This record gives sequence, structure tokens and C-alpha cells, in this order.
Amino acid sequence: MSHFEEEEYTDSKFDLVVWKKIFAYMAPFKHLIYAALFGAVMLAIGDIIYPLINAYGIEQIIKADSLDKLPYFVTAYVIFMVVQSSMVYLFIVKAGSVQRELSFALRKSAFRRLQELPFSYYDKTPIGWIMARMTSDSRNLSDILSWGLIDMTWGSLMMIGLTVVMFILNWKLALVTLSVLPFLIVISIYFRKKILHSYRKIRKENSKITGAFNEGITGAKTTKTLVLEKENFNDFDNLTSTMRNHSIKAAMFAGLYFPTILFISTIAVAMVLNVGGLEVVSGVISISILYVFISYVWQFFEPVMQLANILARFQQAQASAERILSLIEQEPEIYDTKEVIEKYGDAIDFKKENWEELVGDIEFNNVTFKYNKGEKVLTDFNLKVKAGESIALVGQTGAGKSTIVNLICRFYEPSEGEILIDGKNYKERSIGWLHANLGYVLQSPHLFSGTILENIRYGNEDATDEEIYEVAKLVEAHDFIIEFEDGYKTEVGEGGSRLSVGQKQLISFARALLADPKILILDEATSSVDTKTEKALQRAIETVLKGRTSFIVAHRLSTITASDRILVLDKGIVIEAGTHTELINLEQHYHKLYTNQFKQESIESSKNG
Amino acid sequence: MKRFKQFFKWMKGNIWIYVFSIALLVVLQYFRTLTPLFVQHTIDFILDTKESLLPDFLFKYVQGDTIKESLLLVGIVFVLVSLFRVIVMFLRRLVNAVFTERIAYNMRNTLYKKLQDLSFTYHSHAETGDLIQRCTTDIETYRVFVGEQLIEIIRLVFLMIFTIFQMSKINTQMTFISLIIAPIIFFSAFIYFLYVKKIFKKVEEAEGKMTTTLQESVTGIRVVKAFAREKFEIDKFEEDSKRYMKEDYKLLKLMAAFWGGTDFIIFVQYFVTALVGIHFAIDGVIDTGEYIAFLSYVGMVVWPLRQLGRIVGDFGKTTVALDRLDEIVLKESEHLNDSPDTPIIEGKVEFKNVGFKFEDDNKSLLKNISFDVEKGQTVAIVGKTGSGKSTLINLMVRLLEYQQGEILFDGKDLKTINKKWIRKNVGIILQEPFLYSKSIYENISIMDRKADKEKIYKAASIASLHDDIEGFEAGYKTLVGERGVTLSGGQKQRVAIARMLLDSKPILIFDDSLSAVDTETDIQIRRSLNKYWANTTVFIITHRITTAMEADKIVVLDQGEVKEMGTHDQLLKQNGIYNDLWEIQTNVEYDYKKIDKGAK
Repeated sequence: MSHFEEEEYTDSKFDLVVWKKIFAYMAPFKHLIYAALFGAVMLAIGDIIYPLINAYGIEQIIKADSLDKLPYFVTAYVIFMVVQSSMVYLFIVKAGSVQRELSFALRKSAFRRLQELPFSYYDKTPIGWIMARMTSDSRNLSDILSWGLIDMTWGSLMMIGLTVVMFILNWKLALVTLSVLPFLIVISIYFRKKILHSYRKIRKENSKITGAFNEGITGAKTTKTLVLEKENFNDFDNLTSTMRNHSIKAAMFAGLYFPTILFISTIAVAMVLNVGGLEVVSGVISISILYVFISYVWQFFEPVMQLANILARFQQAQASAERILSLIEQEPEIYDTKEVIEKYGDAIDFKKENWEELVGDIEFNNVTFKYNKGEKVLTDFNLKVKAGESIALVGQTGAGKSTIVNLICRFYEPSEGEILIDGKNYKERSIGWLHANLGYVLQSPHLFSGTILENIRYGNEDATDEEIYEVAKLVEAHDFIIEFEDGYKTEVGEGGSRLSVGQKQLISFARALLADPKILILDEATSSVDTKTEKALQRAIETVLKGRTSFIVAHRLSTITASDRILVLDKGIVIEAGTHTELINLEQHYHKLYTNQFKQESIESSKNG
Repeated sequence: MKRFKQFFKWMKGNIWIYVFSIALLVVLQYFRTLTPLFVQHTIDFILDTKESLLPDFLFKYVQGDTIKESLLLVGIVFVLVSLFRVIVMFLRRLVNAVFTERIAYNMRNTLYKKLQDLSFTYHSHAETGDLIQRCTTDIETYRVFVGEQLIEIIRLVFLMIFTIFQMSKINTQMTFISLIIAPIIFFSAFIYFLYVKKIFKKVEEAEGKMTTTLQESVTGIRVVKAFAREKFEIDKFEEDSKRYMKEDYKLLKLMAAFWGGTDFIIFVQYFVTALVGIHFAIDGVIDTGEYIAFLSYVGMVVWPLRQLGRIVGDFGKTTVALDRLDEIVLKESEHLNDSPDTPIIEGKVEFKNVGFKFEDDNKSLLKNISFDVEKGQTVAIVGKTGSGKSTLINLMVRLLEYQQGEILFDGKDLKTINKKWIRKNVGIILQEPFLYSKSIYENISIMDRKADKEKIYKAASIASLHDDIEGFEAGYKTLVGERGVTLSGGQKQRVAIARMLLDSKPILIFDDSLSAVDTETDIQIRRSLNKYWANTTVFIITHRITTAMEADKIVVLDQGEVKEMGTHDQLLKQNGIYNDLWEIQTNVEYDYKKIDKGAK
């Protein structure tokens, strides 16, 4: 949950370490940055020179009352036009490239890291948090490090350049003009910060409203049946009227900013007119210089406002940077040692030639396990499974069934003790090796958008279409698939949304079998399949399990009666083990569980019937 | 005309604020064009002996006896005028904010209310994402349009009008020349932004695809890992990411070319004005101060034109948004013309030849349904998925309206009774109940906000939920829904049951709403219900034969028709669908008994 709290932007201090790390990402495209900076410098110079060109026209042509100097004026003007507009082009392309390259680099690193992080990370990190880092934060950060940084260069250069030129032209007028600058700066920074802050607050309220709409729509049926329309509307009205009031307040505040800046600038213009006018009268400066100064006053606005904006956004950008780095630098708790990677390859680059064949003997050796700071789920757990054996895990929610399965998959690792596969601690082999030999079917199966065919093929990229059809037939999925208009080419929708849960379960079953795994795990894999299909599937499973070590977690006990061994778990301890018949005859826990699924009374009635 | 109405209807009650805001805006633009005149006045009138262009109402205040005094007066008046301008500016922004926020508020509330009142049929066909998009983005589009874009257009148009007016007072020929290239700027911006929209869409699509890949990979991380497909995912993401970048690059280049190019055109206009101005000045047609004023005025016309082209290019977006909003707002509420009758409902229910089909479907979902239930009886409805069970239930609370036959509550046709009244009297617990993002406590007390703790706890206990809740760290204060913990399907169902128990109802319907709780809890809940709600008529849709067999009456539906009806024993003897179901579900038991006998 700590991640959510970070969402608040605290007024953190400038952190050089963070920025150094981010700048390292920018090193590969330094040339782009330099080009953009060059553009910014040229633009600043152009902006400063432009009034001087006009002043030259006024002074040397109009006031001199002669067209002799016109060619110089025209040349200067044309050069200015060409340089300025090509620099605008250069600046936008280069700064934009920096922005894109940086966000690409950040996304890439973060995504790679995401693939390496173990489940324990996903258990405590909401998907929304990850998505926000990958989208808005990377955009935010790359924005300020491209446009922001370059605008800042332009702005500072403008301010310095304008100041220098003004002092060269006339120090008295320069002082008059610059006298308002401190006010401009202080007010700008103050407003920018406040404005940013209030808009962030409004965005938050806005997302609440979106949430309320979502709830109103998805919960429409429930709301109708409970006749809660009025209550819901009142709640909603509370949200929207708060939003309205806050927005008006924020707009009022933001509405003060520009007029204030404008007013300060007009005071400066008035002073320049006044003081400059006297200088003109006393012959110290010419009209054209007066013109230059008036132009310069107006030109001072933009850099000041822009710099204030960037400074205000800076903290937010640093927060974004910190959060992205926290993702990229997150150390995976489950990883292969250097030696293992050297021999077997990492998660991305397999060295299949060095992989031993997985036989399927599995052994838990005094395994203790607890989730992040939670209670121990398993304590000194021992279990030996021979290759090809089928094991059923039975017990209440929280008995440790899923934990055992997750440990076998090395989605988690034992807190103490070890798990041996084929007699060797599985940490001595690579994660990739284990997973490549694993078939895993979940209760709530996850499909990827794409066709049914592509989804099944996910299990084995090299499978032919025929092999896929065969597997689909085996798990009783073929019939419903070909009933679709597009058959195997049917798009499943995002997350498989166009299919029923039962259909998804069958497809994910097919996917697992296509991988031809040595270890097969069925975690409530067919719970949503209808009764008739499940009967048929039951026979298929028996064939499928041959030659594989398998673990089956099921609530419907009818699906596990054929298992080689049934383990009844309670609070992480095996309280009974044996075949179905053995356990029934024991007339203890399993017997009770089993008969509970069918109440005594039903047996009585059936006898009567 | 239709467009006109569509556009203005959202402003109802606020239109005068808008008019006021626009009036202030117009005044502002006039004052803005005065600024260059102060400079002109100083340069030509005070420092030279030429004519001043300041309008009379200002001119009379800036007459000093000495140059020094004149300069001071000009400065003061200039500051005062801009103070006035700045105050009006602030006021206008405030008025505008009040206007746009009020409109957004009205729109949001109207839509929310409407969505709640739209029929169940509408909701079952609608896509949530699309509706939310309309309620957020489309409202925002309109808000931005009236609050910013339209205002901007009006502002720019008036600014140009006043600027041209001021320029023409100096020299008409010069004015004409200063505007000669201006149309090109407008049209190139207009055409560019129309064109770039298509590119922009492509970029958005590419970005959307990348985000989808990311999201799917993250939510499906178990699958990725279990199949050792990390490399595949990385390749896919990087490919999507690169494609997005490539599309985005195209847009970037176009943008750069546009801004650079139009900058050039704008400077050409400046240049032309300067060249001609210089000639005119040398010829004595205009004065130096007027020349300088012209340079300012050119800027006031050409820069806005580029922006204007952009906004006009965006026009279509608003009409589309308004159409999309109308699609919701103009739909009829399900409560329109509903009967106001609210008779006391006792609990006797009769179905008489009830038939139902969806309007756009030829196939009847229910045909000739007839049966009746006495007050206090329990009816089980059994049948395969798609047999019409849920439809039947939906008819009873008029979420759907039957076309044939009638359903009678205590002899009164449902259609003559007020819908909300029916729903208040018929408690329905859905298979996948919706919980609001509030605490568990609030989710239960939602049915009776005045209920005390005891009452809530008792309801939770009857629903076998109390112990579960106590097991949570935050107990009853635990947040559920999007921002809170995820409850299991069974827990959700039990919360839904608990909230229904706060208030007794003559009729209660379980729409397969115990499917996710285990058998033992199922029985326990039903026992408690029988005890506390003995007088209530109960309908239970179920897949569990063990649940059905306890009912006073079992109705077996198949393909929209009542195939069998009677008690458990009667139905078993019929050897029909019910008996089949019984066989399948008890098959396991036979196995068990066989094994059992064999073992003994």
C-alpha cells in the first residue's frame, strides 16, 4: 500500500542522484540534445536581434530619410527569417526526438524489469500503479527533460541576452526595465506552484467522478433492483458540486496570474516611455532605441513565465523520476545465480543446449514458507513425489494448496528448506528451464487479445495448426471453437472478454498441453466448465496425465477420485494422504469433506426415489 | 436549426452569464488595441510635433504643459487604462469559469441521472467503456469548446476587427498590405490541422496497442512466467513501442514543418509591412510612431490567425461529442409514463401464459409460462444455462417487460403497479451482485441508512458473513470494490444477502445467488431465512439439486418453456429433465456407494 501514498507529491528536495541516473539514460542520444540546445540558443539570439533589425530600419532609413541602407536591412531581415524558421523546425524535431527516445528507453528498461520480477512483487503492487509508471510518469519525465530543459535554456539565455543588450544600449533604461523583474519572477513562481497544485487536486476529484460513473453504469442492475437511484444520485451530486466549486476557485486563482503579470509589464512600459522619452528629448538616445526597449519589456514576459512553469513542474518530474527508478531498480527476490545463468541462460536468452531433461521427481525438504511478513503458511513441510505421479490437493481455502503449487512453479521460493527436482535443488537450475517444462492451468485463466489459435499457440510457438486442433479436441474445446463464425481465427477480445469463463478455461488447458509439459498443474482448472463437458474432460485428463507429474487442486472432489495420491491439507499440514478408496475407508476428514458435498439427505431421498 | 438547439440546450439557465462573459471579452479586445497608440502618442505627439492617434476620451487627459509633464501623464493614464483592462480581464475569467463549471456540473448530473433511469435492456447492450467515455471526454470536449475554443474564436475575431479599425485610421493602403498574406496563414493552419487529425489518430491507435500489450502482459504475468515467455513479451512490447514511436515521429516532423513554415509566412507578412511602411514613412505618408504602431498591429492579426485555423479545424469534434451525448439523453427513461399505483403486496404470485422476446430478436425467450405461488411458499426454478430462468426473474421486477400474458401479484397485473414500488417489495439477489466502493458496513446499511449496528451485525450473521468480516483487518470498515479489497464471489453474494435482510420483503428472489458459497453455508443461510422470513414468498434459481429439492414447488424450464413442475418426488417419477439432472449430480454418490460397499 505504501506505493499509493507515494502518489502524493511531497515537497522533496532536489536530488542529484536521481537526476544523474536519469541523465545516464539520455547519454545515447546526446547529439539530439545538443542539436536541440543549439536550436534554442539560435532562437534566443534571433529573438533578441529582431527588434534591433527593426530599430536599424527606423534609425538608418526612416530617420535618415534615405534608402541607401535598405539593402542591408533587407539582407538582415531575410537572413533572420530563414534562420528563425529553420531553427524552429530543428528545435521541434530534435527536442521532440529527445522526448520520444527517453520515454522509449525508460519504458523498455521498466518492461524488462517487470518481466523479471517475481509474483511477490505483483502481490503487493497494484496493476494501476505499474501502468501509471509506464505511461504518465515516463511521459511526464521525458516531457520536462526535453521541452522543459530546452525551454529553460532558451528562457535563461533570453533573459541574460536581453539584459546584456539593454545595458549596452542604455544603462538607465536597462535599470528601469529590470526593476520589475524581481516582481515578475516571484509572482510567477508563486502562482505556477499554486496553480499546479490546485489542478492536481481537481484531477483527483475528476477521477473520482469517473469512478462514480463507472459504478453507476456497471452497477445499474443492482441499483435498479435495490431502488437506490435517489441515494446514488445524491452521492454523485456531492461529488460533482465539490468539483464545480473547486474548479471555479482554481480558475479564479489561475485567472489572477496573467493579468497580474500583464499589469506589472505595463508599469515597466510606462516607466520606459517616461524615462526614455526624457532621454530622447535630451538627445541621449534615439527613438529607435526607445522602440527596442519597449519591445524588450514585452519580450521579458514569456521566458519568465516559462521558467516559472518549469520550476513548478520540476518537483513533479522528480517524483516521476523517483517512481520510475524505483520500478527499474526493484531487485527481483527470485533470481538465478550468476553461475546458473552462465550455464543455463537467463529468462530472455536460454541456453537450451545445456539443459538437462526434466524427469519429474519432486521433493519438498523441510520447506517453510511465509508471504511478505505474513504468517507461516507452511512449516517444515515434507513431500516426495515420483515422476509421473498424480497428486491431488484438498482442503479449505488457506490450507496451503496454492502455496504448494506456487512453490513448485518457483513463483515463490521456500523461506527455509529446499525443493528438489530430479534430486537437485531447483535453484541450481534456471527458472527458464523449469518453466519451459511446466504446464499451468488456472481457475481464472488469462488470455491475450488475439485469436484463439494464437492463444493456444502461446504454449508452444513451434506448434503446427494441426497440433493445435488436436490438443483442442483433446480438451473438448474443438466443438465450441468451430461453432464460432471465424472458428480458430475468432478474436477473443481483451483479456478474453468475448468468451465465457468455461471456454477460457478449456483454451488455457489446451495451451498448457501444447507445451507438452513434464509437470502439469491444474489449479481449479475446470471449475466453470458445465457438468456435461467436465464429464468428458475427466476422461481426457486421465490420458493427459500419463507420463507427467501432476498436481490438481479442486473443489469438486469428483474430479480427483482417480488421482494416485490425495493429500488432505489443513493449515499447511498434510492430515491425510492416500488414494480415494483408502481415504474414504478411513472415514475421517476426506470422508467428511466428500460426503458434505452431497448432503446425507440427498442420499436418503434418492433411496426413497 | 437542430444543431443550434442541440448546441444551446446545455446552456439553459446560464446563457446570460455567457453573454456577459463575451461582452467583457469584446471590451477587452478594444482596450488591447489601444496599447500601441500610447507609444505612438509619445513618439509622434510628445517627442515630435506630429498628430496623436489616441482617442479623444484619453487624449484630453494627457495634455501636459511641458514635455516632462506630458510624458508623466501618458505614463499614468497608460497604467490606469491597463489597470482597468486587467480587472476586466480577471472578471471575465471568473465569469467564464463559473459558466463552464456550471455547465459541466449540469451535464454530469443529467447524464448520471439518465443512465440510472435507462432500462435494463439498454444497459445490457451498452458498453461500459464507451458510456464512460461519453460521460467524461465528450462532456469535456463541449466544455472546452464553449469555455475556451468558442471564446477564443470570438476573442480573435474581435481583436482583428479592432486592430484593422485602428490600422485603417492610420492608413488604409498600409492596412490592406499588412493583411495581404494573412488568409494564407489561416488556411494553411486550417488544412494542416484537418490533415494532422488522421495522423494523430494513428498515433493514438499505436499508443493504445502498446498500452494494451503492457497491461495484458502485467495482468497475465503468471501465464507469461509459467510458459517461460518473457522474451516473447519483451519483443512484442518493444515492437509495439517502436511502432508507436515511429508513428509519433511522423507527427513530430509534420508539426515541426508546420510551425517552422507558418513562422516563415508570418515573418514574410511582417517583412512586407516593414518594407512598404519604410517607403511610406520616407515619403511622409505616415509618421515614425505610426510605423512602429503598425509593426505591433501586424502581430495582433497574424499570430491569432494561425490559432484560429487550428480551432476551426477542430469544430467537428464538438458536434460529434454532442451527438454522442444526445444518444444517451434523448433515450426514454424506463420510468416515463409508469403507473403511480402502489398497492400493498402480500406475496401471492401468478404467471399466466407469459411470453417474452427481445425486440430485435425473433426468438421468444419465454413462451406460455403459467404457474402460481401462494404467499410464503418457496419455488425453485431449475434449468440449463439459457433456458430462460434469469429472464423470468427479470420480468418479475420489470427489468424486462413481458409482451404476452400477465404476471399477477395478489391478482393485480404487474404493469399496473409502479416499477420502483415493485422493486422495493421484491428483493432480488443477483448471482454476481454489485458492491459499491464503500466499506462493507456501508454496503449493507445502504438499504437502510438509519439501521443501527446490532441490526447490521445480525443481518451479516444470518448471511454467514459476520465471521468473515471480523477476520478482515479493518473489520466492517474494510473497503470493497475498485479501491478496496477484492472479496471472493461467495463473500460478495453474502454481502448482497445481508443487505437484503435489513428490511423484510413479501417476495425474495435468489438468482443463483448462493452458487459461490459452499454447500454447508448454503444450507445454513437457507435455514436462517426460513426461520426469520417464514411469511416471505421465495424464488430460488439454482443449479444445486439439493437446494431445489427442498422447495414447495419446482419449475423446470427448458428452452423458454415450463417442461416439468411439481415437488421433488413427483418430478423424479416423471423421468424427465429433472431426473436427468439428479442422475448427473448424484452420479458421484453412486460411485461412492459402490466403492463404499466394495470396501466393506
